[in-house]
Amino acid sequence: MKDSSSSESNKFQWLLLLSVFVVATCGLIYELVAGTLASYLLGDSVTQFSTIIGTYLFAMGIGSYLSRYFKNNLLYWFVSIELLVGMVGGFSAGFLFILFEQIVYFRLLLYSLVVITGTLVGLELPLLMRILKDKLEFTELVSRLFTFDYIGALFASLLFPLILIPQLGLLRTSFFFGALNVLVAWLVAYRFKAQLNSFAKLQWSAFVCLALLVSGFILADKLTTLSESLTYPDPVVYTKSSPYQRIVLTKKGDDFRLFLNGNLQFSSADEYRYHEALVHPGLAALKNPKKILVLGGGDGLAVREILKYQTIEKITLVDLDPAVTELFRSNQSLKHINNNALASPKLSIVNQDAFVWIRSCAEQFDFIVIDFPDPSNFALGKLYTLAFYNQINKILSPDGAVVIQSTSPFVARKSFWIINETVSKSGLLTKPYHCYVPSFGEWGFILASKHELTQSNSYPQGLKFISKNSVEELFSFPPDMMEKTSLYNTLNNQVLVNTFEKEWAAYIK
Amino acid sequence: MISRRDFFKKTIHASIASTLMGSLHSCTPSISYTQTLSGPNATLGHRLRSMDFGSIQKKIETEIVIIGGGVAGLSAARFLKKNTDNFLLLEIGEETGGNALGGSNSISSYPLGAHYLPIPNQNDPELINFLEEANVITGYENNTPVLNEYYLCFDPKERLFINNYWQEGLVPHEGVPLKDRDEIRRFHEEMNIYKNYIGIDGKEAFCIPVARSSKDEAILKLDTITIDQYLSDKGFTSPYLRWYVGYCCADDYGTTLKETSAWACIHYFASRKGKAANASSDQILTWPEGNHWLIKQLRKTVIPNIRHQSVVFAVNKKTNGFSVLYFDAVNNMSVEITTKKVIMATPEYINKRILEDSSNISTNLDYSPWMVSNLTVNGSLTEKRGETLCWDNVVYGSQSLGYVNAAHQQLGASDKKVITFYHPVLGSDTAAIRKRTQSRSIDFWKTTVLNDLKKPHPTIEEELEEMNIWIWGHGIVKPKPGFLSHSTINLERKMNNIFFANSDISGISIFEEAFYNGYQAAQQCIKSF
Repeated sequence: MKDSSSSESNKFQWLLLLSVFVVATCGLIYELVAGTLASYLLGDSVTQFSTIIGTYLFAMGIGSYLSRYFKNNLLYWFVSIELLVGMVGGFSAGFLFILFEQIVYFRLLLYSLVVITGTLVGLELPLLMRILKDKLEFTELVSRLFTFDYIGALFASLLFPLILIPQLGLLRTSFFFGALNVLVAWLVAYRFKAQLNSFAKLQWSAFVCLALLVSGFILADKLTTLSESLTYPDPVVYTKSSPYQRIVLTKKGDDFRLFLNGNLQFSSADEYRYHEALVHPGLAALKNPKKILVLGGGDGLAVREILKYQTIEKITLVDLDPAVTELFRSNQSLKHINNNALASPKLSIVNQDAFVWIRSCAEQFDFIVIDFPDPSNFALGKLYTLAFYNQINKILSPDGAVVIQSTSPFVARKSFWIINETVSKSGLLTKPYHCYVPSFGEWGFILASKHELTQSNSYPQGLKFISKNSVEELFSFPPDMMEKTSLYNTLNNQVLVNTFEKEWAAYIK
Repeated sequence: MISRRDFFKKTIHASIASTLMGSLHSCTPSISYTQTLSGPNATLGHRLRSMDFGSIQKKIETEIVIIGGGVAGLSAARFLKKNTDNFLLLEIGEETGGNALGGSNSISSYPLGAHYLPIPNQNDPELINFLEEANVITGYENNTPVLNEYYLCFDPKERLFINNYWQEGLVPHEGVPLKDRDEIRRFHEEMNIYKNYIGIDGKEAFCIPVARSSKDEAILKLDTITIDQYLSDKGFTSPYLRWYVGYCCADDYGTTLKETSAWACIHYFASRKGKAANASSDQILTWPEGNHWLIKQLRKTVIPNIRHQSVVFAVNKKTNGFSVLYFDAVNNMSVEITTKKVIMATPEYINKRILEDSSNISTNLDYSPWMVSNLTVNGSLTEKRGETLCWDNVVYGSQSLGYVNAAHQQLGASDKKVITFYHPVLGSDTAAIRKRTQSRSIDFWKTTVLNDLKKPHPTIEEELEEMNIWIWGHGIVKPKPGFLSHSTINLERKMNNIFFANSDISGISIFEEAFYNGYQAAQQCIKSF
């Protein structure tokens, strides 16, 4: 090792080499963050990683080229660029997360950020070499500089998948390394303030950058909840948190999908199958239906089908969440899907818990549509209990019928037949049926009435799925969807929730 | 039971400084919530010591007087009402209910005391009859009662916080060594034997009502030892089992293992044999306001006969009946009632003070003090891993009994909830403990409650909106060894035209006992005319 002329110059080198190490580590981390984010958000990790890394390295080349234009005050520029790298790199993940849902040209933003970060990182090494060129012999300089550069790279590439992602997560990792970058910049500036005529300015900038990055680190959890992108395959076009649930609408081409708490409620491409099957087999079988009750179904799609019957005088829609009914009453695209059903003069909307509402209901209805989310928790499970169906029995007119969406008889066989058994226990005659909805799979319904129902010979004009011939098939179950059970769901056993949970868990696994 | 509210109200604004490094979440907002400390008013009751009630200003007559408006008194009144309207019920509090009082706020009703009824045994036709009247029993399937689904405790019922995890059910199993789980199983097998055991006199060994239990000496001798002794004798050493049995004693009787009669403790495990067509026998009936709901059903028909804020200070024998003297705190005057019969539905420590002839009143009964705290919390509680919020939520190893979610029996979704936290003040020197309990500050109780709840819900203080603390000085009677000697199983309390109804005479303070003793007293009273 070469003897240093003084210990001061020795310290000088080591500090700058340390900063090479940090710059290299941070630089690779930003690259990995961008690659990982791109694979998360856009899919196809091979393509994403490959193009991100290529772009990044190319941008470093641009940076190296540009370094020639920096003539004086090299130390000042080095510190400033490092601060800038810390800010751009540190905020890149958070930035991309939030903007993913908001902007159309996401890819453009992603690659611009990669180019900016790469260029800035690419500037650093040549600048550093020039700063050190008088302090070290050239062979020694190149050897040390690149050694530290590559050690930093190895360090980062091991740290990233093994420790950072599992412990800190993507967002915090990026904020953390941004802060590290800024700290090193400050340290370098502080050590060599004598050689810097604008130290105070740099120091203040460093503090501001650091404060911003630390706040980002602390608030990272909030940022993650702000961004739903990781959960949904298609671009998110609308999100809202009501006191009851998280409403998310995605759109890909012409296909709108509604998610409540992450569960798909419908896809506009095939929802007609579901809603025609839900409404028509029961409603068309009634002689002169006048008063209709819809429980759940705030999307207005069941109401759209019901409005195809001329005899109907009054529809009451009870949905817990005003945020859902409001969305489907006012949003242009959604109004198009439900044919503006929620604006019908025949319809009155009640935003209340359905169980509480039916317990105090004194009217009777000719047709009742029960379209609740699947019984995936105890609160929803209450809406599938004997107590609930006993109450339904009371508010169903003597010649009326009720239809209940009853999850998938293929995936959750036991659950489906438990619902059937619970409805029969309330004294109603049940006629279970099922249909195939591509976005859902095989789906089940229970039609129930006080007297035997006979299937109608005619259905409203213009249906795309239900017809006299197709209805008959729906009522026949192949052996893989049959199950005998004597279990029925009550408030005090919630056997349905427990069964449903097991069946879906097994299916997803 | 004394029940007038003594109300101190103060609002505590507690601020929690947010520390940047301590919490990586956002800043903790400064929090404030309302706190109250109250309990049945002892002032009116304590005047029984000084007897400064002044001279009689009014005289009235009635056939029968019931003293005390708890479960026993109301059960007696309900039964009398079917035969006569010529009776009065005198209640010291502003409201009837005794240990089954309840309260309410804008979010929910909640209990202040007793809060559930096990599936009723079939052997008490009057109880069954009452439950039919109250629409708790809605019908029968194969002679087995169908219970109202809205009143059966909704699933999930209970969970236990143990080893930093919420396990399902209260019997410890999560992370519990095999040896201990074996012991717990062996204990339950033994309790099951007692459950089906028939004494040599052909009676059930452990029965509700206590009065109908077997007098087989082999069984009764369990009343000569403590449950602690019993467990040691049988080689039960598992700390998990002992905690569980201790929890059950504290929960039902406000006693420790070392205080509880083995017979009483086994009675808890072995006497509940109720069946229902739509529920397993370990299920229970409950309401948001706890057993106060049952009180409202019991008193439905007798409200005109009730005189509130009426403290009886003497029951004196007269020719052809009694003179009952009471102070009417509403009109601030003393009244004399001339009556033929008296039903004492008051605890023994009150009987001793007001009966002219108190020769056969038990004097050595102890009553455990209790603290019941109702907490209004907004949003969902931050939870540790495991089972979701249940009706009953208990922390393993705690001195307290955990909490009940009053909103559990509500059908609709609500973003706020009221939870009821139970804490019996344990210890054998009851008088000193009662004195200490009643002099504790609101901050002391606040700390007791929050320290316990913070284990499973670390941020509960931020979610808290209101905390109401209720202190029972004389909570419930302690069934200590030997208690059966003065209990209804051995002793038919006979006094000329005075009938005893309180659950104290059973020695076990549960709804069914008070209900049974109440209507038995009323029945005998009517027969004696």
